[in-house]
Amino acid sequence: MEKARIALLLVALAAALALPFTAGPFWTGLVTQMYIFGLLALSVDLLLGHAGLFSLTHASFFAVSAYTVAILHVRYDVPTALAAPAGILAGTLLALVFGLAVRTRGVYFILITIAFGYVVWGVAHRWSSFTGGDNGVTNVPFPAIGAAAITSHTQYYYLVLAAIIVCGLGYRVFMRSPFGLGLRGIKASESRMQSLGFRTSAHLYAAFVLSGALASFAGVLYVYYNKFVNPVAASFPVSVEAALMAIVGGTGTIIGPFLGAAVVLGLRNWVSSFFEMHASIMGAVFIATVLWAPQGLVGIAGRIRARWRKARRG
Amino acid sequence: MAENALRIDELAKVFGGLAAVDGVSLTVPAGERRVLIGPNGAGKTTLFHCITGTLRPTRGSVKLFGRDVTRLAEYRRTALGMGRTFQITNVFPDLTLGENLALAIVGTDRRKWVLHRPMQAYEGVRNQALESLERVGLAGRADQPAKLVSYGERRQLELALALNTRPRVLFLDEPCAGLSPAERQRISQMIAGLPRDITLLMIEHDMDVALGLADRVTVLHQGRVILEGSPDEVRANAQVRDVYFGHA
Repeated sequence: MEKARIALLLVALAAALALPFTAGPFWTGLVTQMYIFGLLALSVDLLLGHAGLFSLTHASFFAVSAYTVAILHVRYDVPTALAAPAGILAGTLLALVFGLAVRTRGVYFILITIAFGYVVWGVAHRWSSFTGGDNGVTNVPFPAIGAAAITSHTQYYYLVLAAIIVCGLGYRVFMRSPFGLGLRGIKASESRMQSLGFRTSAHLYAAFVLSGALASFAGVLYVYYNKFVNPVAASFPVSVEAALMAIVGGTGTIIGPFLGAAVVLGLRNWVSSFFEMHASIMGAVFIATVLWAPQGLVGIAGRIRARWRKARRG
Repeated sequence: MAENALRIDELAKVFGGLAAVDGVSLTVPAGERRVLIGPNGAGKTTLFHCITGTLRPTRGSVKLFGRDVTRLAEYRRTALGMGRTFQITNVFPDLTLGENLALAIVGTDRRKWVLHRPMQAYEGVRNQALESLERVGLAGRADQPAKLVSYGERRQLELALALNTRPRVLFLDEPCAGLSPAERQRISQMIAGLPRDITLLMIEHDMDVALGLADRVTVLHQGRVILEGSPDEVRANAQVRDVYFGHA
């Protein structure tokens, strides 16, 4: 990596570590959300940015995992050490089923994932005896493993920060692995990949399950932050926003989905404080991104840097 | 004794009411270099697609070294030793030439499933990719994205991709299509220099290239084989002249 980029990452890390001391609890909470939804956006981008599959069902894994953790904690008093892995497992099992969507491509893939998403939302919404219906499941405690217990939002902020750093590093290895390169190959030319000996549907299926597992992990982080989960977590807009975060930030990168999450959540918080129809502002941002900056913020940064270099040379 | 690398029986592919391939039988002994010729629309590429598994034939069978592969998926056929190039250049434009080849190299083994190790850590893959690029005349280009190299170089890359799946039978679909005379010569020399134990089935429009490389030639017309013979026999045949070159 270039020195400039390492320096930038170190500055960002220092700022992230200092945040709870310099900003108030409101900002700490908002940034925690940015990390969590950034991770969800990253899971969506695993398919979108690398394999070229546009999934609109990732809220399902996120929510199923969150519900599993919440229900185990609140109703069965299961400790974190079991509840959190169970959440990831439940979301991943669902991804094993929904992964069948990779039998389709393009617009059919998008449509089938939308349909899957509505099934999960419908269950969360209507099966009230189990899911709590619209009220959802409330009073989820902070995570605690043995004597190590989180007792404040500040502590939880650091836990989430550590989690996304670990995920980001793991993701980086994955991107460069033969498997990750294979996904980019499929995105570029599936027919060529098949003739090179790749069983592309199996490759995409594995990527789908992996991506679902990552979304499930984001769901675990979410429910401990939010303290409750209701059908909104499983709703279509959550899936759409996760995809749009990835696009606004820059697909095919690690930092992009997190930047996108920061923009979307930051803008929504700010605009909604003075403008009722804040959703339309978000819409406008997405349209502008797709039209003028399809590579997202990361792409814009790259273009500015290229221009700089040119100016310095010329 | 010459084992048959490829045996095709009564293969047909019907699109709607049109039989693009209409009962083709073909036997290619191991090690032979066979060229398929025929006018546009003769069904050459469709026949290729049916043999390599891109398309399912309507009827008929395909045997690779005696093994029936008619119903096997394309990736399985690649694993069994079929390698191919495409008529319309089919490489990975956003990946570097080195990455293009790395995919071809790991495609036929288990390393393609590895998640926890960067591709670059596989020194063997890197070396094989560099060697292969050098062999097709692309030395020193490993780190360039495929979309930035010339069309002719992409054709060379296409050939290198096919060769790195360790093919026993290699299918080349108009390897020289759209190339300048100099580039064409370079590619045909490359093909001529391939190891003789690779059986070759090749579609080629350029008669000089085709007849220069072929041990035997099969002429296809309207989905059927109309002649099979040595290059000299084909050159001398009046019927071929008629369908292939048009009426004089």
